[in-house]
Amino acid sequence: MTATTTATAPATGRPAATGRTVLRLHRAALIVWLVVVAAAAGSLLWAYGPGATEVYANWRRGCPDDIDACMWDTTINGYYRAVRLPELALSWLCLPVAAWAGAALTGRELENGTAQLAWTQSVSPARWLVGKLAVPAVVLTAGTTVLVLVHRLTFEGNPFPVYLSWSEREPFVANGTVALALPLCALAVGALTGLLLRRTLPALALGTAVTWGVVRLAALVTPDLWPWQTATASLESEWPSMGSDVPYGDQGVLTDAGARIPYPNCGDDFARCMADHHAVAFYADYHPASDFWPLQLVETGILLGVATAAVATAFWLLRRRTA
Amino acid sequence: MTDTALEAAALGKRFGRLRRSAGWALRDCSFALPAGRVCAVVGPNGAGKSTLLALAAGLTAPTEGSLTVLGGPAGQARARVGFVAQDKPLYPQLTVAETLRMGGDLNPGRWDARAAERIAAGGDLDPKARIRALSGGQRTRVALALALGKRPELLLLDEPMADLDPLARHELMGVLMSQAAQHGTTIVMSSHVVAELEDSCDHLLLIGGGRVRLAGDIDALLETHARVSAAADTDLAPHTVVESRTTGRQLSALIRPAAPLPADWRTGTPSLEELVLSYLRNPEAKAAGAPAKSPEESVA
Repeated sequence: MTATTTATAPATGRPAATGRTVLRLHRAALIVWLVVVAAAAGSLLWAYGPGATEVYANWRRGCPDDIDACMWDTTINGYYRAVRLPELALSWLCLPVAAWAGAALTGRELENGTAQLAWTQSVSPARWLVGKLAVPAVVLTAGTTVLVLVHRLTFEGNPFPVYLSWSEREPFVANGTVALALPLCALAVGALTGLLLRRTLPALALGTAVTWGVVRLAALVTPDLWPWQTATASLESEWPSMGSDVPYGDQGVLTDAGARIPYPNCGDDFARCMADHHAVAFYADYHPASDFWPLQLVETGILLGVATAAVATAFWLLRRRTA
Repeated sequence: MTDTALEAAALGKRFGRLRRSAGWALRDCSFALPAGRVCAVVGPNGAGKSTLLALAAGLTAPTEGSLTVLGGPAGQARARVGFVAQDKPLYPQLTVAETLRMGGDLNPGRWDARAAERIAAGGDLDPKARIRALSGGQRTRVALALALGKRPELLLLDEPMADLDPLARHELMGVLMSQAAQHGTTIVMSSHVVAELEDSCDHLLLIGGGRVRLAGDIDALLETHARVSAAADTDLAPHTVVESRTTGRQLSALIRPAAPLPADWRTGTPSLEELVLSYLRNPEAKAAGAPAKSPEESVA
């Protein structure tokens, strides 16, 4: 991106203030984003402060002596929502970002001819696209960084033992770099669809759909891209449980030859059934809590890879189309 | 400054290679426009005028051939070229003042804020009015202010006056002409209304069916053509006939004389409109005033 900037800077010395123009054009979107970030951060901070003390104190009134006797009840709902809504926002704001990028950032400009208006000022199409992508990228990254930091604070300080597992999708996203990569990927994919389709509504729809697909796919394949730990348990015991807050993968029984087979459909005679299948132990693949950062980085890598490819395609497309 | 503002060599542009409607909007265009001229790009609807201007503004890349703008490739002269597209695109959510400020931001080192504001103010435009609230004519005024504010060396205007009332048209044409006179700006203006351009332009580029039909200095073009009337059985050879019509015993024709005309013919100088219409009505008439290369040779 930097190479493009320097190569096409106007010869007059002072570079064109494309950033200021982008901010001026998308003031409404910027305000919406600031409101969303402020509301989500406020909600998380409430949960970190009064939520964690008052709601907790209230909850413990039902089980003052033994915390293990405490169950989920309605007194925690407020706290739950205050944390879960910002987590949902961090997980799914990428979709409105993609819709906005496809429709308002590029699609509408090409449809109305206002992009061409910008290109006939002293700004080359490539430089225009640099401004169009860089300014929202900085604003989005700044906002999500704040939210991730505040969420981590709330997550660490969560006094309730009954929920907020690191491996659940929403807390997982909100605790790490995936939350930063999601809107960047959405921005790039949306902007590319806008450039490709050159129409507002189709770009809005396709940009959102493709982003949704990429996000789902990245979440789906990530656990398999980092080596699983395998837990085993003898056939006499129950299941090789590593706790309820780790993600599990492949599960089944191990044969005496060391092969993995799916859990057989046994009738009444369990021991006979196991012997028939030469089964010697249960096994279950899982990711321990220490896999949090590797998993984060793998998924972030996928999302940023898609984003980079989309940005490169967008520049290539623009360069091919315009003189 | 170079002395050629625009130079096309075998320029061609094809749209939609994949679609069934794929076709050439421009083909085999070769012409040269000297700097400092006010050039009328004339042709029927869909002739390729807008495509030519978009190519000159660096908005689209040519499919074949080349177009030199102010001495370099089309895309590299952006800062020195002003362009107003046919539908006058502007950002509807900005105010007039913000639009002009954007012009300053995007044209560093070239922007003449006072000139731009003066043009906008001529139409009693409220600087705080949003673009979306303006009439078509007012938008044209803002678009022209934006294009002139960057003090271009070459100004490309696609049907600039189409939605202006006669008064505003006269006033803005005056602004354009004084700009051309003061700064030596080359102006290229397209229209399908010839009368609109006759008084202000000194150079003609006639485009029909995606090809250059006629190019050159208007006075010179008019001088090299003649309107003649003669007896119906007259042989017009060796002159190049652009158009001829026989009414009863009378033959009237528009020709490009190749030799002195016989004394018994009644001759006259055609008007620009007559010349343009004759060429447009007769697509098979040979292109005139084009560079030395014949169309056959220029097919790359």
